[in-house]
Amino acid sequence: MTSLEADLEALLGRESVTPAAEGTGGTPPTPTARPRSAEALAEVLALANSRRLAVLVRGGGTKSGWGRAPGRCDLVIETTALNRLLEHEPGDLTCVAEAGLTLGELQRLVGGAPGHHQRLMLDPPQGGGATLGGVVATAASGPLRARYGTPRDLLLGARFALADGTLARTGGKVVKNVAGYDLGKLLTGSQGTLAVIVEVALRLHPVPPASRWVVAEGVGPPTAQVTLTALRRAPAVLSMAELLWPEGTLLARLDGAPSACEQQAEIVRALVPGGRVAGESEAEELARMIERRPWEGEGPVLGISVPLTRIGELMALAAVGGPVAQLSLRGTVGAGEARLWAGADPAQFAAQVADLGGYVSWHRGGGQDAPPLQPLDPVAARLAGSVKQALDPHSTLAPGRGPA
Amino acid sequence: MDRIPAQLDQESLDALRRAVGSRWVLTDPDQLRTYECDGLTGWRAVPLAVVLPSSTEEVVQVVRICHRAQIPFVARGSGTGLSGGALPVEDGIVIGLSRMRQVLRIDLDNERVVVQPGVPNLEVSRVVAPFGYLYAPDPSSQRVCSIGGNVAENSGGAHCLKYGFTSNHVVALTLVTTEGEVAHLGSAVPDSLGYDLLGVVVGSEGTLGIVTEVTLRVLPVPQRVQTLLAAFPSTDAAGEAVAEIIAAGVLPAAIEMMDRATIEAVEFAMHAGYPDCGAALLVELDGPQSECEALFGQVVEICRRCGASEVRVAEDEAERALLWKGRRGAFSAMGRVSPDYYVQDGVVPRSQLARVLAGIRELEGRHSLKVANVFHAGDGNLHPLILYDRRSPDGPERAKRLAEDILSLCLEAGGSLTGEHGVGRDKVCQMPKLFSPNDQMVMHLLRRAFDPGGTANPGKVLPTPRLCGEHPGIYRPHPLELSGAAQRL
Repeated sequence: MTSLEADLEALLGRESVTPAAEGTGGTPPTPTARPRSAEALAEVLALANSRRLAVLVRGGGTKSGWGRAPGRCDLVIETTALNRLLEHEPGDLTCVAEAGLTLGELQRLVGGAPGHHQRLMLDPPQGGGATLGGVVATAASGPLRARYGTPRDLLLGARFALADGTLARTGGKVVKNVAGYDLGKLLTGSQGTLAVIVEVALRLHPVPPASRWVVAEGVGPPTAQVTLTALRRAPAVLSMAELLWPEGTLLARLDGAPSACEQQAEIVRALVPGGRVAGESEAEELARMIERRPWEGEGPVLGISVPLTRIGELMALAAVGGPVAQLSLRGTVGAGEARLWAGADPAQFAAQVADLGGYVSWHRGGGQDAPPLQPLDPVAARLAGSVKQALDPHSTLAPGRGPA
Repeated sequence: MDRIPAQLDQESLDALRRAVGSRWVLTDPDQLRTYECDGLTGWRAVPLAVVLPSSTEEVVQVVRICHRAQIPFVARGSGTGLSGGALPVEDGIVIGLSRMRQVLRIDLDNERVVVQPGVPNLEVSRVVAPFGYLYAPDPSSQRVCSIGGNVAENSGGAHCLKYGFTSNHVVALTLVTTEGEVAHLGSAVPDSLGYDLLGVVVGSEGTLGIVTEVTLRVLPVPQRVQTLLAAFPSTDAAGEAVAEIIAAGVLPAAIEMMDRATIEAVEFAMHAGYPDCGAALLVELDGPQSECEALFGQVVEICRRCGASEVRVAEDEAERALLWKGRRGAFSAMGRVSPDYYVQDGVVPRSQLARVLAGIRELEGRHSLKVANVFHAGDGNLHPLILYDRRSPDGPERAKRLAEDILSLCLEAGGSLTGEHGVGRDKVCQMPKLFSPNDQMVMHLLRRAFDPGGTANPGKVLPTPRLCGEHPGIYRPHPLELSGAAQRL
């Protein structure tokens, strides 16, 4: 046992520390600390910080490969023992939970309150086992963002630990609040490089009583473009609009009162060439189609955003036999929030996407040495550096990692 | 940090004149007095000069001059803010953005509009309305208040219950840093690279730099809008209806509540034809016709069940305008029934509305002052109007104490210091009631990362011993500060 492991055990107890030798935590193997309280987590951080160790924070481990890979790691802090739902007042449609609670467990807890079927309207990839802290730290979202937005829109407040062990709060637990800086937005998507999130307050929504799917097959770039533009202006609120490409499948979902769902599904169907309203028995299979991501496994994945009006062109770039072969897109194209993910060889792609007015970043597989695909605004980069320096002056938290 | 210039040195003044043109640098005391306060007139300070740049490049030059000579600056839009966020500092200048009022680009297929900061809020909706679009945030001063000011305060409005705040509708902006560099934050497309610095700049009340260009998200106008006014015997009954509407899963575009005192003032001042009742709820639904109709019936039924004696449904746009008239004019109506009033802006969890309103009634008695309540009930954002007379010897002081007590009540209920007006100068010394010394320290660290020289809107948002006195609990040095790694502004 190393002296670090002994000190961690003294702080947290033997059951909360996995020594490096039993190595689950990274390459080379590093010890893992699993503190049971925010205060204990802060103490571990302070200890690591004072010894100039590099710390990686992990929740459910479902998005460890996202963003740039960290340069080094001496200690993994896992938040999974911080897993309590602290408050849920159904009448407020809000909840406060510890960061290590999984999204799946939260949905179960807030979904089952008597008379109130509520939900956190986030459906990121591998969502069930993801922790709330991890979802926020990676700004992970899924198809529902078309209607409900991303973690930045649903996070009301947070408690977090700075690298030196300072515990602090931002925001609150009410849905409307402009007191002080909105550090919650800064932490959202910061990938554990600025602070360790230990608690989150989130906005919930009621589970809509009914849903209807509209499906179309054989949708090519020109049709997709025209249809998406038309859908944006149609009198129908899409909870999601997903495009599977190169399969050419467009999936749209409408949620709400049963009669409203029916009518809106009909409006959408009429706008989508070849569209049909799916039967209720198909709903599960359609949801699974969206869940399936061809790039699960190894290899680099890109995050791509383009303006709504350029989605057809992006599809053309990504078509089989098109300029960039073997590219597979999944995307939330509803609500004008076009975000398409692609599994591909990145290098040739970035410039073409830039020409469309969009951007490409490493969603996964951007190693330490991978060059940024698109340059960040230099002054914004300098400000980002100042913020990192101010909050984590010794670069204790995931050095080298970060959203890019 | 002590600041040097008690008056503007000649060199800086000349440089400012060169940067924007002499006629856009105001130093005449009478002209300066126009800028001595914002919408919160209780706080006043005359700046050394007012500079009115017309472009990002001119703002850059002005800020560089300030940076070089360590001149504090306060950015100002239309001056309608209600927290003293644009209150000048006496040893600094005001940078007024009112000349920067161009709509730069409209791209409706992508639902984006790019504007300069001086563009009035309503102007955005006005330019896109002919094409069937709108800009959702609608603060009640929307005819006058500027987009730049909205960005600074993260403004809301009656319809933010459904549509969210300014921060949900600003997708990118140009920030002139306190050192006079130009940063482009955010992106016109969804998501962007790097940290979400845009997210902290929105709502930072002009303390992190000056925003000179803003890319906004605009939305298609909903197919249908339905509005009703329901009369309840009491605020308790109306509050219950609010809770039931929310619990039923209905998300109205707006739910506004007015208590008896407000209704009486509105009737006296503008004859809006409101019913004589203990509390009125104004509920607006919008969206696709099918959805509106399905939910509207539900809302009417909930109101009746919760004791509404009357439910008026607007049959057309004119009737809708009439229902809103009283709500929109409530603040000014108060001016007709009381010599002075102070608008508080507190937030409570929605489930605590009834309890806090009862608490406010109790405080009215204790302070012997009348409070009229008109507020965004759907999101728990209270706007108690404290009626007082400044000519009575302790009138203002009592009003201030009552306002603070109401705020404490909101915080005890788990709420917030401010829902949409901001901290500004007005609530800076109350920040410790909501945020611990550590919480504030982290905010200081962030501020310093953006503004190492401490020149951007000093004295706002974060308390310092100089502003708020030395009582314990406000200030405790952070280890980083003691080690010299950080410094307090």
